[in-house]
Amino acid sequence: MIEKQTMERVINKALDSAADFAEIFVEKTLQSTITLQSDKIENAVNVDKFGIGIRVAKKHQSVYGYTNKTDEETLLRLATDLAKSFEGERIRKKIVLPEAEKGEKHQVKRRPDTVDIKEKVALVKKANSAARGYSDEIQQVNVNYSDIVQNVWIASSENIHVTDERVRTRLGISSVAKSDTDMQSGFNAPGGHYGFEFYDTFDVEEAAKEASRIAVTMLHADECPSATMPVVVDNGFGGVIFHEACGHSLEATSVAKNASVFSGKKGEKIGSELVTAIDDGTIENAWGSSNFDDEGRPQQRRVLIEDGVLTSFMVDYLNGKRMNEEPTGSARRESYRYAPTSRMSNTFIDNGESTFDEIIAATEYGLYAKKMGGGSVQPSTGDFNFAVMEGYMIREGKLAEPVKGATLVGTGKDALKKIDMVGNNLLRAQGVCGSLSGMVPADVGQPTLRISSITVGGRKGNA
Amino acid sequence: MDFKLLFDKAKKKNVEAIQVHLEEVQEIDFHIFNGELDKHQLADTRRLSLKGIYDGKMGKMTTEDINDDNMDEWIAALIDSAKAVESTDPVFIYEGDTDYRDIPELSQSHLDTLSHDEKLQMTFDLEKKVKELDDRIKISQAFYGEATKKVTLKNSKGLDLSKNVTNALLGADCVAREDDDSRSSFEFVQSNDPADFDLNKIARDLVDRAVSQLGAKSLKSGRYDILLENRASATLLQGFVGMFKAEAVQKGMSKLKDKLDQTIASSNITLVDDPFKLKSTKSGSFDDEGVATKYKEIIKEGKLTTYLYDLKTAKKDNVTSTGNAFAGGIAPTNLYIQKGNESFDALLSELDNGLVITSLQGVHSGTNPISGDFSLQATGYLIKDGEIERPIALFTISGNYLDMLKQVDSVGEDLKFTFAYIGSPTLRINNVIVSGE
Repeated sequence: MIEKQTMERVINKALDSAADFAEIFVEKTLQSTITLQSDKIENAVNVDKFGIGIRVAKKHQSVYGYTNKTDEETLLRLATDLAKSFEGERIRKKIVLPEAEKGEKHQVKRRPDTVDIKEKVALVKKANSAARGYSDEIQQVNVNYSDIVQNVWIASSENIHVTDERVRTRLGISSVAKSDTDMQSGFNAPGGHYGFEFYDTFDVEEAAKEASRIAVTMLHADECPSATMPVVVDNGFGGVIFHEACGHSLEATSVAKNASVFSGKKGEKIGSELVTAIDDGTIENAWGSSNFDDEGRPQQRRVLIEDGVLTSFMVDYLNGKRMNEEPTGSARRESYRYAPTSRMSNTFIDNGESTFDEIIAATEYGLYAKKMGGGSVQPSTGDFNFAVMEGYMIREGKLAEPVKGATLVGTGKDALKKIDMVGNNLLRAQGVCGSLSGMVPADVGQPTLRISSITVGGRKGNA
Repeated sequence: MDFKLLFDKAKKKNVEAIQVHLEEVQEIDFHIFNGELDKHQLADTRRLSLKGIYDGKMGKMTTEDINDDNMDEWIAALIDSAKAVESTDPVFIYEGDTDYRDIPELSQSHLDTLSHDEKLQMTFDLEKKVKELDDRIKISQAFYGEATKKVTLKNSKGLDLSKNVTNALLGADCVAREDDDSRSSFEFVQSNDPADFDLNKIARDLVDRAVSQLGAKSLKSGRYDILLENRASATLLQGFVGMFKAEAVQKGMSKLKDKLDQTIASSNITLVDDPFKLKSTKSGSFDDEGVATKYKEIIKEGKLTTYLYDLKTAKKDNVTSTGNAFAGGIAPTNLYIQKGNESFDALLSELDNGLVITSLQGVHSGTNPISGDFSLQATGYLIKDGEIERPIALFTISGNYLDMLKQVDSVGEDLKFTFAYIGSPTLRINNVIVSGE
């Protein structure tokens, strides 16, 4: 792709300044997507991305440049332009890169770019038929298949030189159910760091029916009441609340700038002692896993919170300089178009001891959020909001009628303290997380858990 | 790139018609944090998207590895893509229109009147001003980004168009802190003329917004009359853009189906899509299919007059394209609710008792673009006797966007655009559901 000697020359060119760090990130990515709408394949598109990012830094100050003109002359000129920000006497000696280390974990069996498009089309149609067949009330089904083969070569003045292949695939099914007066949608999108063999590891038709089941259930649901009440959040995608409301505030991106509610809180109790939270980028073939992070450091398993006590942040190289902490292999980026920063990988609250039935039975009145939709958070305050895609009322310790249109509103630090029951059924689910360094695949996860009191916004008016 | 060679090669492979869309972008960005240049970015990129008709189907592919040697591979990928398509919708490679509006102002940037160092200094100055305005400002950042985008659109039917847009963004964000409470805010100006970058105003507005939110608490659930401030209203509109797209309407995924020429909003609401707005990167005289763009009032005084069309959906409805084919689908250009004539202060004193909603969060998840339902986290102020009583946060407002549009009581004169060039003035709406404590 780009020769080792070229990478070395680019890094050394950048270090011909008062900079103390230089890095080159080379990316070649093949992406394929197939979309089906109204029972027919609407589009089948291949996207071929190719580009290079160069980062030069002094202490925690950095400059970044990217281009997809990849001849050595352009790269050396870019390195020179970037280094102009750090005028002064050279401080680093000429570096010699080690031989590239290749990532060996998360092997895939069938690289998606070797799979015939007809096979992908057949998969999409199978999902569509299953989702359609679930009920006569299903009005529309969209299926979106995607796969990506991302090859990266990363080298830096930190004696790093690695290459990694990230292969991911995902099948998104979205169903719309319709009655005379209402339309409701449901969504399910399993994915992983796998090749096409992923679709042999689970029942594709069941996954597709799940999207339709949610849509139909919500079509017959009442509006959710508005009140502050206990909320039982189910396992799997329910972990999006922790991801958004706490996870982002544990990233060095906000911690280092003192912009997080958790800045300076390491070693302190920040949540209920029932809460242990982990960010693990090493889980075999998980959606958010990779061999190396996007600064070329090995991915790690990080225990963020142990029994309610903050134990680790997620740290990238530059923010580590600012915080005086070692990087934790947490630097990620969507592509060469972004400088990396600290990001989550596969983040989840660990198992507790309660069973699902015990948690429901212990709740006199409240909301059971079976499937969460998306949400967002303001990192400086930790204020969050989440849509509940599929919800049910809990009355007298039993699941009652389905409700739609609920939004959960709170702050991360309060919610963490209010977790008063944690289940034993940990499950992870796939998401795409957007932040400073673009959109990256990330697993969220948790067992079923209960938040003792949280604001629920619904359209029914007040309970 | 040798376009003619590509077109000839495609023809030899029985591609009936082919179109190239080449986007070339140069960008610079600065980011100032705590008085230091925290980040500085330079970018120079190209992206080539091809589409072509093969055996009556449209194939597509996109590449950043732009090299004439790869042409055969591109055409093979295009044909593979077309072969997979089953949709029997008509496909188009467009010959072009006779007239395209000339908008020289879009490319005539005045940004070059400032040197690189002056732009950097301006960003430093902004960050400094923010910090100096109030000692409760604990974190401040300022940023400047400038991009020049060149789009070339050519096809084998003789279409040959190009446009050049240069625009910049100057903005800042800050966190105010008092006791154990933190509040943040964000302000920016987008323009191609440095005269529009009023540092004092940006800093003042930014700091006011953050500081005035300190100590915000929730409020009692209930129904309230609200002023939906310009930026909050624009954010909400952004969540419902999908409703106006012909594709959603034709697939039964929009509640605006069968509503043409009907009253769908209060008579003081006019919703405009204006591709000729100056100082916007969304502006231009042609869309991605080469259709001449048009100014249109999607809602005119409350009445729905049109959907947003590309060539395919227009053909289905037997109308002409509105020139809204963008980014592989249908998208507005500069979409906004036309301003009325009441000042924000007048609206506030008329409100008497109620809420001002200054921002809404979670639009991508808390809105249902099919049904129009929304339930969104909000911040703002509680208003008593026409005056701000206290800041409020951690509550939601909910309702249905189409119902809400019918209940707009007054429209302000303070039209403001979001990042994505979606705009609105402040709207007065009565009896909105609020969930708080």
